[in-house]
Amino acid sequence: MLGFDHELRRHGFAGNNCQIVLELAGTISAAALRDRLAQLANEFPILNARPGGVIHPRWRVPREAAPPVVRVHQHESGIEERLLNEPLDVAQGELARFDLIEISGARTRLAFTWAHALMDAPGAEELLSLVGQVPPPVSSLASAPACSPAGGGACSTKTGEGAGPTTPPLRQRLNTAWKSLHHLDKFCEVKPQSIGTRHPSAAAKLHYQTVRFTAEETAAARAHATRLCGLLGDAQFHATVSLCELHKLRARLGCASPSYVLPVPVGLRPKGRIEPVFSNQLSMLLVQLFPAQLGSVADAVAAFQPQLEHALRSGLIESGRTLAELFRFLPLPIYVFMVKQGLRGEIGSLFFGDTAAVNPKLTHFLGVPVEEFTHVAAITPSPGLGVIFYYFRGLLRLTVVHSARVFTKVEADEFTTSLRARLLAP
Amino acid sequence: MIEAPEIEAKLLDFVQREVFAPDAGVTPETDLISAGFDSMSLVRVLLFVETTYGFWLPQSELNAAALQNIRSLATTVARLLHER
Repeated sequence: MLGFDHELRRHGFAGNNCQIVLELAGTISAAALRDRLAQLANEFPILNARPGGVIHPRWRVPREAAPPVVRVHQHESGIEERLLNEPLDVAQGELARFDLIEISGARTRLAFTWAHALMDAPGAEELLSLVGQVPPPVSSLASAPACSPAGGGACSTKTGEGAGPTTPPLRQRLNTAWKSLHHLDKFCEVKPQSIGTRHPSAAAKLHYQTVRFTAEETAAARAHATRLCGLLGDAQFHATVSLCELHKLRARLGCASPSYVLPVPVGLRPKGRIEPVFSNQLSMLLVQLFPAQLGSVADAVAAFQPQLEHALRSGLIESGRTLAELFRFLPLPIYVFMVKQGLRGEIGSLFFGDTAAVNPKLTHFLGVPVEEFTHVAAITPSPGLGVIFYYFRGLLRLTVVHSARVFTKVEADEFTTSLRARLLAP
Repeated sequence: MIEAPEIEAKLLDFVQREVFAPDAGVTPETDLISAGFDSMSLVRVLLFVETTYGFWLPQSELNAAALQNIRSLATTVARLLHER
C-alpha cells in the first residue's frame, strides 16, 4: 500500500483514494460532525498516521492527532468526482476527509474519501456507522485495536482469520510466500497485455458511474448467479461477467489481451466480526482466464471455479498474506521499483471488488436517514478500469471507475451498459 | 458408519475455528447465510468435507435447505456418505 501511495502521489493521482457517498434525507451539522471526529481522533491517532522511514517504508503514528477535515460545499454537477480526484495529503497525515454537499431541498450528500492504506471497505462502512451513531457509543471503537495502515499483518496476530499465538519462523514464512510468486510465474507463461501501453502512462482523472438495480432486476441477476455459479455464487457471477465484458470491449477496441488476470479480493475478517476497523483485512487471489473462455459466462465460470478451489487447496490465501507482510521489510527503493514494474505491466486486467451487503447499521447518519449509498473503488492508471459490486438494503449496486487517459467516457459508458445488460441476461 | 451428529460436531468445530469469529456464537441451528457465510466460506467447508470424508459435495446438493445451518449440512453429508 505504501508503495502504491508513493507512486501514485508522485503523479498526483488519486487512484488509491476510495470513496463512500451517502445520500441523506436531510441536513447535518458540520460542527456536530467535527466534534464527533475530534473525539475519534483523540481515541485513534492512527487517523493521522503518515509515511516515514528512510530505508524501510513504515508509518508514523503521532501522539496527538488532528481530526479528519470536514468541508461544506454547495452542490454542483460532478462535485463528487472532483472530490474523489483531490489527492489526500498523505505526507501530512491526511488519510480521510469528509465533504458535506448541500443539495437544494434540504438534502445532503456526504462524500467520505479515505486512503486505502488506512482501511478496507468493510472497515470504512463500520467507521461511518460509528461516527454517525446517535448518541455516540460510550467507547467508539474500543473493541477495535488500532493497527498500522498498509497491512493486516499487525492485526492478524491479534484477531482475524488464521491468527495464531506465535509467528512462524522466517524460513517457513519465506516458503509460504514463495507459493504466491510461483503462482505468479505461471501467469507469465501467457502474459496479459497491458492496456496501459495503449495510452501515455501519465495518470489522469478518475470518473465513475453507478448502476442501481431495482428489486426485480436484483432478483433476476441473483437467479442467474445461482443457476450459473451455485448458491452464494453472486461474487463469482459478478467477476466472470465483468471479465467477459472487459474482453468484449478490448476486442472491439482492437487491443484484446492473450490472457486476463483478475485479482479477486478475499476478506480475511472472520464472519461476524468487523474489527479491526483500521486495517486492510484482505488478500488477493489471482485468477487467469483466456479469450477462448470469455465467450460466454458459463465458460468463464467453468474456468474460474477450479482456480478458486485450487487456490484454497494450495494455501494461496495464506501465501499471499505472508508475501505482503514480508514485502513490508524490503528497502523502500526496491519496493517502489517493484510496484512501478507492476504498474507498467498488467498486475490485474480489471480492478474488482464485491463487498456483498453494506453494513446494516448504516440506516442513519447523525440522526438523518441514509437513503442511498455509493461505493467508489480505488484503481491504478493501468488497467484504468475497476468495478465494485455491493448490495444496499437488498438491492444490487455497481460502480464502474475508469481513468480518463485509458478509456474514453463513451467506452466506459459502453462497458457499463453492456455489463448491466449481461448481468440481467447472461 | 459415520452418523450425522458426529459430522455435525466436526463441521461446527471447523466453522467456529476457520470461518466465524469465536464470539459469533455459531450453533448447529445458526442460519449460516444470515451470519455472513459467503462463497469463500462455502468452498472452505467443501474442502474440509473432502479432506475429512473423501468426497466433494456436488453442486446439485448445495441448495438453500442443505446450507441453512450446520445441522442440515451435516445431514446432507451423512446421507451422501451412506449412499457411497
